[in-house]
Amino acid sequence: MKAIRTSLQIIGILLLIPAVAMATLRFENRNDDGPSILFPGGELVSGELYSGPEPNWDFTSNIQTIELELEDTGSSRVIWILNADGNAYVVSGYMNTFLGRLWKDWAVVADEGSGEAVIRIDGLRYERQLQRIQSGDELDGVAESLLRKYTGVPVTPESIANQRAAIESGSTWAFRLAPRSE
Amino acid sequence: MSWKNYGITCLAVAVFTAAVILLVPGLAEALEVRLLTFLSTNASG
Repeated sequence: MKAIRTSLQIIGILLLIPAVAMATLRFENRNDDGPSILFPGGELVSGELYSGPEPNWDFTSNIQTIELELEDTGSSRVIWILNADGNAYVVSGYMNTFLGRLWKDWAVVADEGSGEAVIRIDGLRYERQLQRIQSGDELDGVAESLLRKYTGVPVTPESIANQRAAIESGSTWAFRLAPRSE
Repeated sequence: MSWKNYGITCLAVAVFTAAVILLVPGLAEALEVRLLTFLSTNASG
């Protein structure tokens, strides 16, 4: 009995060390200029702030991830970026589960808050307004971009329809990265 | 070990771990790289 207790105590400490390490790393990154791949960061402060005409966001086709900061929280994260018809989008999956919404809390904040954000792509910052898109044919382009760029799923009318349905059902949330003036 | 002493030990280990990561220069970055490598390796497996 004593041996079992001792074993459990040792296991507990061995699990505690990496758990504390992960929590400490997350805490240590919280105010950095931008996120790391693994942990959220603070405000995006470095990099020129783009002030030109609204870009055609199709250039993001070759960009895998961007940095996204929500001004409501001042925290930033690395995130996928989609493009369709010259517009840019970000998505958040697993939103139909409690743990998913907890993990992807940025999407909840964006939807329920001001939605004001700053993104950074290749060192250049853009002020954006996250607008959640829940229905409409615009989602066909979003679905196709998501399938083509980030999944191994063949892009067919059926797969696009399925992905669009996932967005419309609330399982996946899609946000257009609109200019602030809209 | 009594559970009281075990709790004290856990607290001490947690504080020590956090302090080492925060105070040793470069350790946080090195750990993050190692973690990322581990996750990437296992994700592709």
